[in-house]
Amino acid sequence: MMEESDAALVTRAREGDQDAFGVLVENHSQALFRLAFRMTGNEHDAEDIVQETFLRAHRQLGRFESRASFRTWLHRIAANCSLDLLRKRQRHRDEDDAVDLESAEAIPAMQSRAPAPDQELLHAEVHQQVVYALEHLTPMERTAFVLRHFEGRSIEEIGTTLGAGSNATKQSIFRAVQKIRRALEPMVKATP
Amino acid sequence: MNHPSEEQLVLFHYGEAANHDEVAGHLGACDSCRVHYQALQRVLAAVDSLPALERADNYGQEVWRQLRPRLAERAVHARGRWSEFLRLFRYPRWALAGALGLLLLGSFLVGRFSSREPMSPPVARRLAQPVSPPARERVLLKEISDHLERSQMALIELINSKNNGAVDVSMEQILARELVAINRLFRRAAADAGEPGTASILEELETVLVEVANGPPKLSETEFAALHQRIDSGGLLFKVKVLSAEMREKEQDTARSLARVKS
Repeated sequence: MMEESDAALVTRAREGDQDAFGVLVENHSQALFRLAFRMTGNEHDAEDIVQETFLRAHRQLGRFESRASFRTWLHRIAANCSLDLLRKRQRHRDEDDAVDLESAEAIPAMQSRAPAPDQELLHAEVHQQVVYALEHLTPMERTAFVLRHFEGRSIEEIGTTLGAGSNATKQSIFRAVQKIRRALEPMVKATP
Repeated sequence: MNHPSEEQLVLFHYGEAANHDEVAGHLGACDSCRVHYQALQRVLAAVDSLPALERADNYGQEVWRQLRPRLAERAVHARGRWSEFLRLFRYPRWALAGALGLLLLGSFLVGRFSSREPMSPPVARRLAQPVSPPARERVLLKEISDHLERSQMALIELINSKNNGAVDVSMEQILARELVAINRLFRRAAADAGEPGTASILEELETVLVEVANGPPKLSETEFAALHQRIDSGGLLFKVKVLSAEMREKEQDTARSLARVKS
């Protein structure tokens, strides 16, 4: 059976068909979770963001422009929810543990452990360092980077999501890459 | 071209460099830049190697199972608010309350109100029956506090409707138009009844409601920020909340007095 398009489902959902909205939820949850997890780095937070995204989407369904892509619209809401959460998290971050997030020098490369006996362990360490580097980006940098790098969104789309201009968006992506590079380069060089 | 900056290389990597072909040509010819770019590619490839955390295949169904009751709850709440709000304008209740309010606050509004809202025969019959002053006062207080609560909700909805970019306030606009009409009646009545404090808050509220009602259905971010600022700066939401609570308290006092008289 041919699957119903997002546009048709959105039309039905707008008319009050809850089952149609349910199908949209079922179709998009996985991808939203991946995005939210990339953004927050926390499984529980990512699940909450998925729920919050659909709640907001349901409330704002009347504002969705049918010509646009529902997926893109949904991902934009999820990115905003994640950004809100990252900002809250940043505000609550214990000052003792706080790192100067605006400084490109802020992310120290994690201390190398004993030389890795095999490649798998080295990859695990690289992964750990990627997570660590992402955690130490500012909310704007992380959002911009995730949307560009993992989601393949254009600078313009990211700017719209962040409510920032093109130059500010480029700067956020650039600063994020710069910080990640500083944190990862020593390890990446060692990876065969 | 000159050696591209690190920023240009990042943009080039993502296909966003304005001078893409020039950078590509330069990387083909310049060893040091190529080495630099390859290092950047390795770092970004390492980021890609981070495994994505996947949910089970039935995750979407699970999300919907959890979400469905929450949406149903919200729909009931929203329907309740709308039907309650719309009922106010289907005149039997409004006409009754309005007419009782007029009796209490003096004859100032009688002519205006009764000429605008013809009463249905059952309402007219009910109004013809003797109603005690405390009972009239109670109905009026209830109507005012209900109006203030609805206005409060409208303001909250309004300030929470922010999205990135243009803000669609078309729904809030419909609500504001309805609230303006009632607010105007209450404000004039309060002024005539010698309640300048209440009249002043209602006037402030009316200014914002009129602005929303007559404004564009979509606000730019700057317009939205200015409106938000006007709501915030005078503490309008707080004043409306306090006045609403005062009215509600008075209404409950009156209800208790009526109950004591009956018993």
